[in-house]
Order: sequence, then C-alpha cells, then structure tokens
Amino acid sequence: MDLGGSSSLSGLDLSKLSDRDKQELQQFVVNESQKARIQASIHSLTDTCFRKCIPSGTVKNGKLDKYEEPCMRQCVDRFLDANMVVLRELERLRQ
Amino acid sequence: MSAFPNDPKTQVMRQVQQEAAMQNARMLVEKLNEHCFERCVPKPGTSLSKGEESCFTACMEKYMSAWNTVSKTYVARIQKESQQASGLQNTF
Repeated sequence: MDLGGSSSLSGLDLSKLSDRDKQELQQFVVNESQKARIQASIHSLTDTCFRKCIPSGTVKNGKLDKYEEPCMRQCVDRFLDANMVVLRELERLRQ
Repeated sequence: MSAFPNDPKTQVMRQVQQEAAMQNARMLVEKLNEHCFERCVPKPGTSLSKGEESCFTACMEKYMSAWNTVSKTYVARIQKESQQASGLQNTF
C-alpha cells in the first residue's frame, strides 16, 4: 500500500508536462478546490444543525427520526437564507 | 482518469484526490468524536462502559445520516441557485 502521501510526488518532473496537460491540471485543481470548499461547508453545516436538531443527552437510536430529519433540512435552508440576508444587508450598507 | 496510470499528470491528480478524501475523513472523525463524546460520556469514568459504547455506535450512525441529509439539501440548493443565476443572466 502506498502510504507515502506527498513523497510519491517527489520524483515527478512537472516541467516536462505539455502545455495542454498543464492547463488540464490547473482546471482539475480549480474543480477539486471547489469540491473541497463545498465539503467543508457541509461539515460546518452538519456541525451547526446537529447541535440544534438533535437534542442533547444520550443518543438511543441511530436513525434520524421524523422530527430530526426535516429539522436538519430546514436548518440548512434557513442557514443559507440567513446568509443571504447578511450579504444583502452588507451590500446595502456599502452603498 | 487516463490510459497511462503512471504519467505525471495522472499521478498528480490521484494525489490531489487522495488528499481531499483524507482531509474529508479526518474532518468527519473529528466531528464524530466531538459530538458523540459530549453526548455519550457526560461524566468520564474509569473506563468506557457498555452503555457509553452503544451510545457511540448510535450517535455515529445518526451523525452520518445527518451529514448525508445536509449534503443532499446543500447540493440541491446550490444547484437550484446556480440555475436561477444563469436564468437571471439570460433575462437581462
């Protein structure tokens, strides 16, 4: 198994890449960064909404019940609505 | 990704994807631990009790379901908004 995270790249000579490959790589990294940002947001939203929707105390059941599941969905949507309100308000103040 | 699994471009791509997956897994483990420890081990004893352990199992399952729900809702919302945005661009 290849455990050597970045070490497996150390022997690579990227200067030999063709311009087309370089461009393709650049686009790939842009896309991956966007995916990473979205994933980070999902982690942060899950963190926030889990706190709100799943009451504290010990967890007895692994499944999301009929209150928790819609609560999680609404929490995400309302958080994003709230985010828009903040942005709109800041935009208004800027003018 | 490519017909040549060892060319430098493919190697870089694979590396980037591996690291993203690793980062994602690390984040999930951290959050699982944080939330479930808080809920399942309110008063740490001399060892993890059976009850605490089964609480952890349930809590992890619940958190991961919650993660999936958030993921679906969030992605659907992004898609909806980007469609609206492109629709608006066409209107004006």
